[in-house]
Amino acid sequence: MRGTLLYIGQRLVLIAITTILVSSTVFLLLHQIPGNAFLNETRMSPQALAALLHAYGLDRPVSQQYISWVGGVLHGDLGESFVNRGVKITPLLIRETQVSATVGFFALIVTIGLGLLLGVIAALRQNTWVDYIASTTSVIGYSIPSFVLAIFGLLIFGHYLYIWTSGSFYYSPGWGTIEQIPVPALALGLPYASYVARLTRASMLETIRTDYVRTAWAKGLKARVVVVRHALRNALIPVVTILGPLTTGIITGSVVIENIFGIPGLGKEFVTSILARDYNIVIGVFTFYAALVGLANLAVDVVYPVLDPRIRY
Amino acid sequence: MAQAAPLATPEVELTYEMPEQVTLFTDAWRRIRRNRLALLGGVIILLLFIVALISIVWTPYPTWLQAVGPTYSPPSMQHPLGLDAAGRDILSRIMGGALITIEVGVGSAIIVSLIGIPLGLMAGFYRGRVDTIISFFINIWYGIPDLLVALILVFVLSDALHLIPRGVFVIVLAFSLTRWMDVARLVRGQSLSLREREFVEAARMSGARDFSLLFRHIFPNALGPIIVQATFAIPAAVLFEAFLSFLGLGLPSPTPSWGAMAAEGYHGMDFAPHIVLAPTIALSLTLMAFNWLGDGLRDAFDPRMKR
Repeated sequence: MRGTLLYIGQRLVLIAITTILVSSTVFLLLHQIPGNAFLNETRMSPQALAALLHAYGLDRPVSQQYISWVGGVLHGDLGESFVNRGVKITPLLIRETQVSATVGFFALIVTIGLGLLLGVIAALRQNTWVDYIASTTSVIGYSIPSFVLAIFGLLIFGHYLYIWTSGSFYYSPGWGTIEQIPVPALALGLPYASYVARLTRASMLETIRTDYVRTAWAKGLKARVVVVRHALRNALIPVVTILGPLTTGIITGSVVIENIFGIPGLGKEFVTSILARDYNIVIGVFTFYAALVGLANLAVDVVYPVLDPRIRY
Repeated sequence: MAQAAPLATPEVELTYEMPEQVTLFTDAWRRIRRNRLALLGGVIILLLFIVALISIVWTPYPTWLQAVGPTYSPPSMQHPLGLDAAGRDILSRIMGGALITIEVGVGSAIIVSLIGIPLGLMAGFYRGRVDTIISFFINIWYGIPDLLVALILVFVLSDALHLIPRGVFVIVLAFSLTRWMDVARLVRGQSLSLREREFVEAARMSGARDFSLLFRHIFPNALGPIIVQATFAIPAAVLFEAFLSFLGLGLPSPTPSWGAMAAEGYHGMDFAPHIVLAPTIALSLTLMAFNWLGDGLRDAFDPRMKR
């Protein structure tokens, strides 16, 4: 137990370092850009512009700006928006992270739930029509990008089935009703669900042929116990290894999905602020993303020994 | 490949069947021929290449030409895939998009390999400090939304600094700079295990220099997995381009990129779905084909790792 805590502590430090490294790279990249964030403000007097630059600390050399920015990040302060002046970035992004995380969480449920279900069923009914349908779907599904699925989803549920759904998941003015979640979450999760299904099927096929599963059957255990406790638990190990990259994929995918469905999350903020050249927010979103991916990978590594007691930290 | 040792003719007659000697590629080809999905992928890719080549010299209409007919008109005899919001012929644009897709995909696969293979070979071969530095980058990058870093790179290099015009090259460059780690990691592993093998030792004993050990002895033996990894880099790059162009941060407007076409068609989706369907289906088919071929190649080059 103490070993595990120590391990988690080490990883958290590593995540912090990675996060700062990544956002520093983005910081330095964006500060190479000539001109300043207020170039579009043509009607501003030179004095006002100078005052504004001073207020944001943009009149100082990049090295000094960088030092004070790192200091801010260590205190959890990511600065203010250039475009919507006075808006603090940290609380804004925390709020948006909650929205993104809700969608991402349901996408992850779709991915793992549907993926495991399809994979296990296909493996148990190997070489029957059930297997063929499940395998074909997953072989096609994991090549269709999530934004294409989102477009198809909108076309089907928002247009052809308009009478049935009355567009409730898309056209409603605000965010926050439960009907808005399924279609984006499905679009985001399905490609990865197909991947999980393929992986689960392959590793299930391997496990159900092992001696210990045969023993479990021979002991007269119930099918559910054999499949879930003996076969699936071992078959899950290779599946868990891809959960890290999968979370990264879902986060990247959410950038497009949130823009298509108009979900006010991190991904939408990211694109909006790049196009509006609101660099402080871009850097802030990156800081959040790097931390989120790091934490997700850590969570996967913590779950790992639960499934496979041979692994210890 | 095992070489049969010359034997003295034995007195008793032995029926000894010599194992047939085949090269890596012949062997792989025999296996992949039996994989129907991979073959289908190969056929689709071949078609894509043919269409792309044709589009260099001929498309039904110029890809940029607007108002060749009524805007939003659905598929007809004259325009098999219909016209888009600006009255451009969608079939022509899909054909032009095939060329761009291939440029992005193949270009990225080549540059990713050019960066990743030497670094991976060196990391595995020299170990020690070289390995530490290269592995550090690989590990850091493993936990990062790399596509978004690439997105920022494209934006900074072309929009903000105006160093490279926004086009295929900058996208390929940004993708490769953030994705060489996949190849490097794989090659590093191969190089780590191959350097201990007898044939490398034999070559070293006969006086081969490091360079020739790396590129003439270790590299050819890691070729199978490298080809597989490069094949998987193609759909990833194609998807990245579509993703960028869909967000309006990729190829600029008149370029017939499938991602950009999907983004344009998406706005008129409720009354003219054909505009969005054509590029998205083309894109999905292409990605499928490359993934199928990649899976097939993986099984063919590495028969031990059956999936």
